[in-house]
Order: sequence, then structure tokens, then C-alpha cells
Amino acid sequence: MKKLWLFLLIVALLLPAGALAQDMPHAGVEIVTNFMQSGTYDIGAEQLEAGFEEATGIELEIVASPFVVLVQNNITDLSTGTGEFDVISGDFWIGSVWGQMHPLDDLIERDMWTPNIIEGLMLPGPSGYFDGKRIGIPYSADAYGLIYRTDIFEEAGISADWETWDEFFEALDALEMHLEGSDIAPNVFAFGAYEQTPAIFLGMYDGYLVDAEGNYALDHDKAVAALNQMKSLLDYNPEGATGLSIDEANSVFLTGKAATMICWVSFVRADAQNPDASLVVDNWATAPFPGPGFPFLSAWNLFISGLSENPDAAWEWIKYYINEDEAKRRFVELGVGSPFLSTYEDEELIEQYSHDFPNMVANLNRAESVPWIFAAFEIFFRHMGEFVIGAVDVETMLENTLADWSELEVPEGLVQSAAAQGQMQEG
Amino acid sequence: MSLSAASGSTKSQSDWHRRHDLPWLLLFVVPAFIIVVAVQFYPLVYSAFLSLQDWVLTESQTPKGFVGLENFVKELGDSTFQRSVRNSVLITGGALALQMTLGICLAYLTMGASWRMRAVRTLLILPMVIAPVAAGTLWRILLNSRAGLVNHLLSLLGIKGPEWLAHPDWAIVSVILLDTWQWTPFVLLVVGAAIASIPDDLLEAAAIDGASRWKTFLYVELPLLMPLLLLTLVFRMLESLLSLDSIYSLTFGGPGYSTYTLTYYIYTLGLRSFNFGAAAASSWIFMVFASLSIGLVFWYQRRDW
Repeated sequence: MKKLWLFLLIVALLLPAGALAQDMPHAGVEIVTNFMQSGTYDIGAEQLEAGFEEATGIELEIVASPFVVLVQNNITDLSTGTGEFDVISGDFWIGSVWGQMHPLDDLIERDMWTPNIIEGLMLPGPSGYFDGKRIGIPYSADAYGLIYRTDIFEEAGISADWETWDEFFEALDALEMHLEGSDIAPNVFAFGAYEQTPAIFLGMYDGYLVDAEGNYALDHDKAVAALNQMKSLLDYNPEGATGLSIDEANSVFLTGKAATMICWVSFVRADAQNPDASLVVDNWATAPFPGPGFPFLSAWNLFISGLSENPDAAWEWIKYYINEDEAKRRFVELGVGSPFLSTYEDEELIEQYSHDFPNMVANLNRAESVPWIFAAFEIFFRHMGEFVIGAVDVETMLENTLADWSELEVPEGLVQSAAAQGQMQEG
Repeated sequence: MSLSAASGSTKSQSDWHRRHDLPWLLLFVVPAFIIVVAVQFYPLVYSAFLSLQDWVLTESQTPKGFVGLENFVKELGDSTFQRSVRNSVLITGGALALQMTLGICLAYLTMGASWRMRAVRTLLILPMVIAPVAAGTLWRILLNSRAGLVNHLLSLLGIKGPEWLAHPDWAIVSVILLDTWQWTPFVLLVVGAAIASIPDDLLEAAAIDGASRWKTFLYVELPLLMPLLLLTLVFRMLESLLSLDSIYSLTFGGPGYSTYTLTYYIYTLGLRSFNFGAAAASSWIFMVFASLSIGLVFWYQRRDW
């Protein structure tokens, strides 16, 4: 009899454990995920950590590092075979290790996971792809943008409906005339944040970034035209613009001293509507980013490391972190640009961000990432800095850039990304 | 004879001690020796090995192969490397000249044991305890051409301040100013302590001989201070050459490549571009360059002051 009771007791104890094992197939598994220490993406992850662990039984460790350290960690982790991280946060900056990521297609198909992410962001480039297989899912989206003062434009009778930079420059000329005698500049850009200048160049340039042989390259004539046009923007900027950091340029706009600003809109959106930080509350809007180039895209992806011993558990975390509700919450609470279309179709948000949403979505849809590894980007913006301050002419700048680029190898993943986004030379 | 016997006995005693102590000496010395070799020499040897390899981590997980002195030749011929060397010499030279001069002057001006002088000395050494990254950020704000305090103060004097961080020459000056502001106190401290240790009777003898204050300094105090000044110069030279964090936060190496120093260049090459072979070669060139500079100072120190 005693044995029977003991048997029943064991069965009673095992039943919930079995059920638990069915609900939580990865219970007890430990995974490590990383994020940029930005006070946004990482905080968003920390806010979900407890709920995720409770829901899945997976023990999650979040490692947050500053941008440069994160890139270094990701590249060295995968290149050296260390395998410290299961889920990796990154984008094209880590294109050199894309070949070592876990393909996600089977996991997506198995779970019939169909996120309502903006179409353009799910394509190769904004999304991580390698050899035609998806390896990354975007969890944020921010396109380089252009914001303007609605009150000044209204006074001057100018409409912000430009499609090209030439048309935008016409608007700047009109603004210059209208603002003559005032201390308001037609435009402001953080020219002193040297690493930001390529964003304007990319907007003005519609040539290739990788040549037919798969090397870093630029279409000479188009690049010269874009670089000269970029430099001429300085004429419309306040005095000392070549020394302006991002915060300083933002401050020029927020204190009402510029009629337009080229910037990461997400860096300024919250402050611009905060009466304690801004003199332009309700008097600004997002404009179309001019062409013929594209708005530079920042779309952080989550990848599963090919070295992860627990790709299924890692996948659970990706699904938990990247979803419509969380994207909306992160947009509202932390200012993180959402990759989900539903965020921009949310009626409550549409009303609140009517000055911002329509053109932001349009800009996001046109936005592209670049096939530059860190070294290629550094070479480009350094030489561009020399050109902007007048230390070298445009021909020397291009010559130096191409000479330094010739030492670099374009990783296969980024060649594929360039080809998919039409940034590769034909032939 | 007895003397010789005694000395023979002492010698054998000493031999016995040596034999007896040797294992103990080895026991204490060998672990430390192994640690020193492992911590210092292994990385050096490994970096020497890397400097002869073609290895870019973003292109290959392991070194691609032996390339001899190719990395050295490439680096020495690279225009950015050459510019970094020139900037390092300019920044270190400029900062050292200012720091040594100001440090010595301030040390003399703040001599004394009164509470006022002690308070002034304490205030003067404060910049030294600020983290270089924070100091760089602080000066970035101060030197802001539109809203910075420095240009505001200059405007009160009717002077239009320059574009400190946006102009290549002024950016170099800004880095020199930051280094001088932060590290002059170090010279002040060392020189102050050295001045206090000069015997009074020497100064009294000079005074009795009718030497002026300037001649006393030039012919009595300066020769006595010189060995310590040279040592301070070596410390500061090394620190200044190795400086990375303050430049990172003040100018980010820019505008363009204007404030790229050798250390910044090596950091970029190794940890941003992952070109380990070239970074190791540059590090070795840097080490030779720094060693030669220090050797020159020590050679100069051998002079009889």
C-alpha cells in the first residue's frame, strides 16, 4: 500500500513537471544576448528580461556595450570562435562575420512567424542576408531625415515638397532671402561630427559603392558632383558649422536658430516636442529626404550566432523582443524607431505624430544600408572631413579615399547586400 | 696566516650559505620571473610575430602568412602614419615645452608651507585627478566655437576666438592645451619637492658670494634639479606619446586626420579596422621611436651638470 502511495505521489509530481517541460522546452538553458549601451535598445531588453525568463524558463544574460565596443566584441567573438554570445545585435558594421550567423529561414517557417515589418526593411541590406538566406531580423529603424520649421515655411510661402537636392537648395535660397537680417540660418547640420557627413553624401549620390569586381569604389563624376554639392550646404549653415557636434546642431534647431536641419530624427523628436528643451514645439515637421540618393538607414538586427549551442532558445528571445506591441512601446517610451508598419498605422500615434509620421515612413521605405565595414567607413569620413575643412580638394579627397580603400576587402555578405540594393557597378 | 685562515673560513661559510640559500632564492625568484616573462615578454614576442604576418581579422580568422618586413615598409610609407608621427611630435613637443616651463614657474611661485600656498598647490593639482576622457569632454564644451566659455571670454576682450576644434591647426593647439592643463601639475609637484630638498647652506653660500636670484637659480638650483627634471621629462614624454583617451573625447582624431597621433592611429588600425599585422608593425615602430627619444634624454642626463 505504501508503495502504491509513493508511486502515485511520484506520478503527481512528475505530471506538472512534464507539462512544464512541454510548455518550456528550453527551461534551464542559458543564453547571452548583446545590445548597444544606448539607454534605449538595452533598456528595452532589460524591461523584458524577467517576463521572458518567467515565460520560457530560459536564463537570459544581457550584455550592453558602447557602439564601438559592441562591434569589436561581435567581430572578435565570431572570428576567433569564442562563441560568448548566442544572440548578436548588429547591422552592416559586422558584415564581415555575416557568414558565421545561423540561418533563420527554417525557424521562421517552422513557427510560421510573419511579422508585419515595413516591406523595405525585410529586404537584403536593411535585413541581414547571406547566400540568399535570412540571418537577421530588424528590431529598430531610423532613416536619416530632414526636419523643418513649419511656421517659417508658412511665413515665407515655401512648401516642403522637394524631391531632389536641387529643389531643396532652391528652398534654401528662398529661405535665405526671407531670413535676411535675422539670426536664423536656413539650415544646420552637425558638420563637426565627421562620421555623420557621409549621410548627406549618400543622399546626394546615386552611383555605385562597390565596383563590378567587388571592390570598394565610387562613380567618379557622380561622387565629385555630390561632394561639391554637400560642401555648398555649408553656405546655408550658421557660422562655425564645421565644428558642430550632433548635440550642438540639435540645439541650434531647438533654440529656433535654423529653419531646417538634416539629422537622425529620432535624436531630436522627443526634445523638439518638450517645452522645457525646445522653442519650436508644434512648429516643426519631418520633410521628404531629397534624392537622387537614399536616406542612410540604421536598422539594428538580431542575429543568432552560428556558434550558439542553443539556437532554438536564442530564437525564442528574438521573437519575444521583436514584436509589434514591444516595438510600439519602445517607440513611445524610449524613442526607438519602430520597424513595424502597425506603429505608424496606430490611430493614437498618428494623431500625436501627424507632423512626423507620413514622411518618416516614406523615408524609411527608401532608406538603404551601406556595404561599408568599419575601416571603409572610417577612411571615407576622415578624407571627407579633410575636404569639408578645405585641407584638400575634391579630386585629392577621392584619390586618397580610393587608394586607402584599395587595401580593403569587401566581405562577401556586404557584396551581396550591395548587389541586392543596386549599389553595385553593372558589368 | 691567521688572517688567511679566517678569510678561508669566511669564504667557505659564504659558499655554504650560497648553496644553502640558492633553492630558496630560486623558489622566490622563479615564479616572479615566469610571471614577468609571461606578462611582458610573451605579448612582445607575439606582437613581433604578428608584425611579420598578413592578418586582418575581418578577412581571415588566422594569419594569412609570413610577409617579412612588408608591414613595416607599408606603414613607414603610409601618409596617414607619417602624419600621425608628425602630430605626435608636435603635440608631445609643444605640450612638454609648456608643461616644463609652467611647472617650474608654478613650483617657485607656490613655494612655502603656509596654508595659503598649500591650498593653492592643492587647487593646482586638481586637473591631474580628472579622468582624461572626462577632461577631453570638458574641454570640448569649453572650446566650442559657438557657445564655449573660452571664446566667450575672448570676446569680452574684443578677440574673435578661433574655430578650436574645426580648424586643423587650432585642433592641434587644443590638444596641446588640454595636455598642458592636465599634466603641468605633475611637473609642479615633482619640481616643488625637488626645490624643497635643496640644502639651504648652498643657497646661503651663493647669497654671501653676491649671486643674484636669477644666477642662483641658473648656476646652483638648476644643475641640482636637472636629473629630476630630465626624469620628469621622460615620464611626461611617454605619457603624452601614449595619450589616447583625451584625444578620443576632445577631437576624435579630427577634423579629418588633423589630430591623429601614433597611438590613435595604432588604435584605429588594430581595434577599429582589425588589421593586426599592420597595427603590430606600427606598435614596434612606435616603441623604437619612444625608446630612442628616451635614450636621448638619458644620454643627455649623463652630462655633468
